[in-house]
Amino acid sequence: MAGEIVLGTALAAIGAGVAVGMAGLGSGIGQGIAAAGSVGAVAEDPDMFARGIIFTALPETQAIYGFLIAILLLVFSGIMNPGVTISVASGIVAIGAGAAVGFAGLGSGMGQGITASSSVGAVVEEPDMFARGIIFTALSETQAIYGFLIAILLMVFGGILGT
Amino acid sequence: MVEDIATIVTSLGFPSVEAFIGAMFLVLAVVAVVVVVSTIKPVLNMFPYTYPNARVRARTGRLFTEKEFSEIVESQNIEEVKNYLRSVPDYAKYIDLYPLEKALDTQLAETYDLIARITPDNSKDVFKFLLKKWDIKNIKSIIIAKKANLSTEETLNWIVPFGGLTDKLDSLIEADTVTDVLNALEGTEYPKILEDAIPIYNETGLLLPLEASLDQYLLKNLLRASATPEDDNTSLLHNYIGTMIDAANIKVIIRAKADNLKYEDIEAYMISDGYQIREWKLKELMEAEDVAGVVNGLEGTDYAPMLSDAMTDYTETNSMASFENALDSHVSKTAKTISLKNQFGIGPIIGFLNRKENEVKNLKIIARGKREEGFSTSMIKEMLI
Repeated sequence: MAGEIVLGTALAAIGAGVAVGMAGLGSGIGQGIAAAGSVGAVAEDPDMFARGIIFTALPETQAIYGFLIAILLLVFSGIMNPGVTISVASGIVAIGAGAAVGFAGLGSGMGQGITASSSVGAVVEEPDMFARGIIFTALSETQAIYGFLIAILLMVFGGILGT
Repeated sequence: MVEDIATIVTSLGFPSVEAFIGAMFLVLAVVAVVVVVSTIKPVLNMFPYTYPNARVRARTGRLFTEKEFSEIVESQNIEEVKNYLRSVPDYAKYIDLYPLEKALDTQLAETYDLIARITPDNSKDVFKFLLKKWDIKNIKSIIIAKKANLSTEETLNWIVPFGGLTDKLDSLIEADTVTDVLNALEGTEYPKILEDAIPIYNETGLLLPLEASLDQYLLKNLLRASATPEDDNTSLLHNYIGTMIDAANIKVIIRAKADNLKYEDIEAYMISDGYQIREWKLKELMEAEDVAGVVNGLEGTDYAPMLSDAMTDYTETNSMASFENALDSHVSKTAKTISLKNQFGIGPIIGFLNRKENEVKNLKIIARGKREEGFSTSMIKEMLI
């Protein structure tokens, strides 16, 4: 089976790995920071559990974007769909798509985790800060969305999706 | 197109397109690793502080606001103050267990204990050392009680059940005299600390040298424990502790000069090497003629502007309170600046500890004002930090 994979497909596989790996790294670090802050808040005020979970869940999205792009790459490059093959050029485009969503997710996830942790601290200190904390935390999402959109565009216009 | 690429790749010295792509990946991988490591490193430095900071900020949110302090000050008597504190979970558990001042100190000691437990490793030693504050307070309380011939029950009212001496407290409290207390400290670090002060006590019967030795040991070693900063966080902790020690030294010198004491009288009570006010400067200040000389001698330091303002009040009222308030405010301002400057590191911990200390001091002022005759609400408000 492995011998049938063409170079373009193999490059797309690297793109998928970068997408999910880097986005997952950023999301994991961000979520870890947010979770550590939330645990501290819950230790002082058990009523903070639900709000802590919300803030901790926010940096999850970057990993989801990376995961989606990786799945699309795996399906449309032929890894999960043996009848399909892509060219070397499209394979390089796939790496670009993976890097776009991966690195954007890395920065966005870490940034969102820091803001989420800080917001948890602000909410446990002053409960009225919840809505404002969510808004500030959501701001870091935009970079991940840019990366996700560019990854989709690269796949569409780079001959991976819709071929 | 493909042939063109192959020609370019071959002209670059690569045997095939695959080899070129492989080399490109290697380069990109190295660049990616550098980017990832340099991005993650500062974030990982914040990580150890996220849990303690969330806990500390939760407690910061529970500190009394100005409005709440006004309500407490308006209490008719000490019982109303206690009732108010019974509604605050942090204080409630101690209010019915101990006399008010002991309850407040115990809550503060519990806070110190929590901070020492949850603070990250690089600043843990300093906060652990800070817990000795309660051992020293307890030793001082016991020797004062023995000197005043207080009973065991009366002495217990001043003992805070925190610190490293909790196992020894019973034997210290049951000692009959100050000398017995000092003997009962055998096996701890304190006899060595007090070795110079004990002969002076035996000769004069004054407790002050013993108390001064204990205070000096705490502050000097606290400064030393934080003196080799590993990073920004420990450096800011050193800055805060240093500012506290400078303020303590300046207070002693100003008080001494107001009482016309000379260099030889003051020297024993100083922390010999301060933070901003180093040993040579302290010597110069101790040799000043009077309070004005001390204030002038501080020209060029952070303390000069506030002490010059306080000097005007002192000239009018002859009260040391203006100097002490100015220096306390400076320490609080330093803590606040650090807490804002370093929000993802040690800042919130330092800011909270300072505000908690001030809260307990204010509650003690209110308790004293309500217990003693002749303190109006406005007088108490003026005394609050």
